[in-house]
Amino acid sequence: MNVIQVLTSSPLFGVCLTILAYEVGCILNRKLKTPVANPLLIAVVLIIVLLKLLGVSFDTYNQGGSIITLFLAPATASLAVNIYAQLEQLKKRLLPVLAGALVGSVCSVGSILLLSHLFGLDESLTASLIPKSVTTPIAMSVSQQLGGIVPVTVAAVVVTGIVGAVFAPTFIRLFRVKDPVAAGLAIGVSSHALGTTKALEIGEVEGAMSGIAIGIAGLITVILAQFLA
Amino acid sequence: MKHLVQAAVVFLICLMGEALVGIFSLSFPSSVISMILLFLFLIFGLIKQHHIHGIIQFLQQNMAVFFIPSGVAIMENFDYLKNSLLPFLLICVISTIITFAATAYTVRFVTAVQQKQQNKRKGGEAQ
Repeated sequence: MNVIQVLTSSPLFGVCLTILAYEVGCILNRKLKTPVANPLLIAVVLIIVLLKLLGVSFDTYNQGGSIITLFLAPATASLAVNIYAQLEQLKKRLLPVLAGALVGSVCSVGSILLLSHLFGLDESLTASLIPKSVTTPIAMSVSQQLGGIVPVTVAAVVVTGIVGAVFAPTFIRLFRVKDPVAAGLAIGVSSHALGTTKALEIGEVEGAMSGIAIGIAGLITVILAQFLA
Repeated sequence: MKHLVQAAVVFLICLMGEALVGIFSLSFPSSVISMILLFLFLIFGLIKQHHIHGIIQFLQQNMAVFFIPSGVAIMENFDYLKNSLLPFLLICVISTIITFAATAYTVRFVTAVQQKQQNKRKGGEAQ
């Protein structure tokens, strides 16, 4: 057994690699001062390159990786605290919030169907893309239901999330969104929990609305999928 | 509350979420069910915000890290995506922008309509 095999045989390999790669991403992000140098994006690229160089398979990495992924559900659930803290705001703005999430989700699915048709994508790739704006676990089950390829859906969800996390402040400026409720909801509906990480940085109201959007947009997309299946 | 106990509380809620999804075979993922459960516990005062403050901070500050392994999984589908990588990326970017704008403008529009109606009602009362 060589050194690499010994090192990678423990789940701790994937755990350490993930945390350290993210730390490198954070340092580069501070140094480069450009939103494209997103820590998550850097970490993912870094890990893939390293695994390829070392000849380590994804499954070996994911022994530890799956331990990290385990925290995704509690992290999503934790957004309930932010929503609770903004309860008054939500009560006051319930109708615009629900309408925004509905129109946003329909536009997400609609634009993917239209663009996939324009680019001439096959049915399974289209089905994999349809739920890409909602949170990973919902997206996975919707993709399965529509005959998509689940790992491709996960890829699309992550790419979409990174787009949201990186460019949310740009979108807010571009579309002149001054209302924090509208901004937060738009981030959450378009780029789920990953975009929400950015929304939490922007402000309390934005973070909470983005968290609410994950649940509502997820629910609406599940319902929309029933019509497409 | 000790950090470890805080973690146990939140994980237990997630476990309840998973149990509910399993027992009633819901087509809704457990993480969102758990979010609703935690929200209800907070509303009914069964859990206070300060009880779980530490673990919530830990989870939210490191949220991006928890996505990394799912992102790395892309390497398993390089071959499938290779042929349609450009449309794949373009669709991800374009539809995200469309969704963002549609959501934000809908909130703005509905809020404006609501305000107009409120003003009208106020005007009516004044007369």
